[in-house]
Amino acid sequence: MAVGLILFGILVMAFAMVAAKRLSALIFGFRAQSFFLFMLTFILAWRENSTQLYIVTTMLFAVKVVLVPNFLQKVARRIKADEDLGLSVNPTVSMSAAVLLSYMAYLFTGKIVSIPGEFENSALFISLSATMIGTFLMITRMKALAQILGLLVMENGIFLAAASVSGGMPFIVEIAIFFDILLVVIILGIFVFKINRLFTHIDVDKLTELKG
Amino acid sequence: MQLAGNFGDLSGDYLSLFFLFTILLISVPAAVYSTGYMMGEYGGKKKAVLWALLAAFVSSMALVVLTANAFVFLVAWELMSLLSYFLVVSDFKHEKSVKAGTIYIVMTHIGTAFMTAAFLVMFRYSGSFDFSALKEACSTMPPEIKNIVFLMLLAGFGTKAGLVPLHIWLPYAHPQAPSHISSIMSAVMIKTAVYGMLRFVFMILGIGAIWWGNLVLVLALVSCLAGIMYALTENDLKRLLAYSSVENIGIIMLGVGASMVFMKMGLPAVSLLALCAGLFHLINHAVFKGLLFLCAGSIYKATGTRNIEHLGGLIKKMPVTAAAFLAGSIAISGLPPFNGFVSEWLTLQALFTGAVNTGGSYKIFLCVCAALLALTGGLAAACFVKAFGVTFLAVPRSRAAERAGEVPLSMKAPMVFLAAAAVLLGVGAPSAIRCISAVADSVIAAPAGGITLSASLNTVIIASAIFTASAAAFYFMRPRRTTECNTWDCGYYKLGARTEYSATAFSKPLRIAFGFFLLPYSKTEKIRDSFYHVRSFKYEVFTTPVFRDYVYEPAVKLVFMAARQVKKIQPGSIHVYVAYIFATIVLLVIFMGRF
Repeated sequence: MAVGLILFGILVMAFAMVAAKRLSALIFGFRAQSFFLFMLTFILAWRENSTQLYIVTTMLFAVKVVLVPNFLQKVARRIKADEDLGLSVNPTVSMSAAVLLSYMAYLFTGKIVSIPGEFENSALFISLSATMIGTFLMITRMKALAQILGLLVMENGIFLAAASVSGGMPFIVEIAIFFDILLVVIILGIFVFKINRLFTHIDVDKLTELKG
Repeated sequence: MQLAGNFGDLSGDYLSLFFLFTILLISVPAAVYSTGYMMGEYGGKKKAVLWALLAAFVSSMALVVLTANAFVFLVAWELMSLLSYFLVVSDFKHEKSVKAGTIYIVMTHIGTAFMTAAFLVMFRYSGSFDFSALKEACSTMPPEIKNIVFLMLLAGFGTKAGLVPLHIWLPYAHPQAPSHISSIMSAVMIKTAVYGMLRFVFMILGIGAIWWGNLVLVLALVSCLAGIMYALTENDLKRLLAYSSVENIGIIMLGVGASMVFMKMGLPAVSLLALCAGLFHLINHAVFKGLLFLCAGSIYKATGTRNIEHLGGLIKKMPVTAAAFLAGSIAISGLPPFNGFVSEWLTLQALFTGAVNTGGSYKIFLCVCAALLALTGGLAAACFVKAFGVTFLAVPRSRAAERAGEVPLSMKAPMVFLAAAAVLLGVGAPSAIRCISAVADSVIAAPAGGITLSASLNTVIIASAIFTASAAAFYFMRPRRTTECNTWDCGYYKLGARTEYSATAFSKPLRIAFGFFLLPYSKTEKIRDSFYHVRSFKYEVFTTPVFRDYVYEPAVKLVFMAARQVKKIQPGSIHVYVAYIFATIVLLVIFMGRF
């Protein structure tokens, strides 16, 4: 029951991010989604009573719930980015698209996998939805920071898939992924900072000069 | 794990050793020459880099001719191409050098692609890259596959050799490289392609059909004529030499192609003779073309220009260079007693012997080949009369030519050495031919080929003797007293360097005679003060590079057009790129959902 609620929370937070018009709302959505994910893995760790999963859970909390959102917020404040995300698709249409994507993911998971157990099945469907919604965010939001968040939402989806279907990836891979995320966010954050300084904006749709 | 052949194997047969000898014969003098040539031209660091590149380049060429494994051959071949590319662009501050390098590297990679394809097809049958294994496999290969492999090898090696219409890179790359490098590239590197032809087509693949030989003969003839015609109209000394390399590769391939034809006709002795002629011309061309490029480098070093219209009168300022250049010119024009005469004579002999021994249309074809080779020889003589005469005779046409002085010993010595080699190979032709017939023998293993050889050699010796005797007679009988006076100028009294016979004027009749191919056009520019008084008059002549304008440029245009079409999906926006990925995922999801 609790697990079902948490999964539902993850999906709702993905939708919330699609509906978000402001940067702080987006970052909050991500923080909340990561927190739900943290709770889910905590329950899994508790069920299986495995030290490795506990460590993963701790790192998840540290990286995705605390460090990354804080860092992104700091970058946003530092470059005084205006709150507007630069939506190329308005929230209503975005929402409909996200619902459609989730429905497709639902059909898809239902047809290709026949996994026993309600939890695994819906976890896979939600993870696929989150991945696709993350991609959707990357495409339709113009601010570079939104791209980073879209990427992180995709990663959350993939993490969920790995955790729920196969009981987590190998420990070492999991740790490596966390470091990757941390590094990617830091590097991208610095890039955004530099882009802002160079062009005085972070609108990705205006950065099309470098094509061949 | 099983290796696909022995990568360390070397082949030490006569063919490899012959090519190794040729490589060293040119590379060593060129290296000596470079010490003088680079002095004052480049800084210390750059000199060190150039030396290292040169050493690596020569080593890679040696590996190409020595290895007994096709894979190693390919790697060495690619190394050779890349290193020579770096040497071509060593004056990378000039836009021209970079452009030349680009054309070179694109063309050479097209060639390498063909070769790689050919090797892979052969590998499919043999399972090993060893020459011996490849040879075994080729005997069981179906003839259609053999034909395809041959065509790919011809395209691959033809690009490196500079056979028309694949010659396009030669006149760009050779002039732009430093002179000792262009000397090595033109004299030796393009010959590795002939080695490849002999090794892979003659010895490994085996000649499959008579049309292979016919195709090579036709390409060789076209190369001969096109090469020498372009050389004739060229005023840049090094470009002229580069075009002349195309011509000479044509002569070499004429021998090779004739050898293929005769082998298929069942005339092994004539086949051997033709191959001997080809191989002999190969080493001869290496010697005199290496020599001529070194001379061109000396002229460039002394005057700072390669345009022969701006030279003139250098024979008095640079007597050694002039003598060396004259020796090279005589040799390349095919006059006795120099080496070029012997090999061209042998090629003609082979063609005529073949014509006598066959019947039908081949008689005519071979006679036409011989006739066109003779025409090529005549045009080559005209070309080098122009090159030598305009560069060295009369009075200087520019300040630079007036101030020229003889080059240092380190540059003179290699030129003299190569000039001596040209004479030696001509006078000592019988002994040289004996060695080369052993090489040719190892390639096609024909019985009793010596008879035709010695018969035709007698003529060579007699001709050389007559020529030398008449030259000596002229020297001793020439009038002792000379008087110096002005040329009669119809009472104008103002003849100067500007009224001399120029290179453009010299080649004008030939431009008209071969107008159907060269498509010459001219531009005139007059600046008048009034109708009666013309202040300046400029006249420029151009020839249309047929192959560039009608083959390569359309092809390049096509490629760019296709690229522009493809470019439309590259808007440079991250959103669109992510959207592509996303669309793919969504499509996959829908597609999978259907099952």
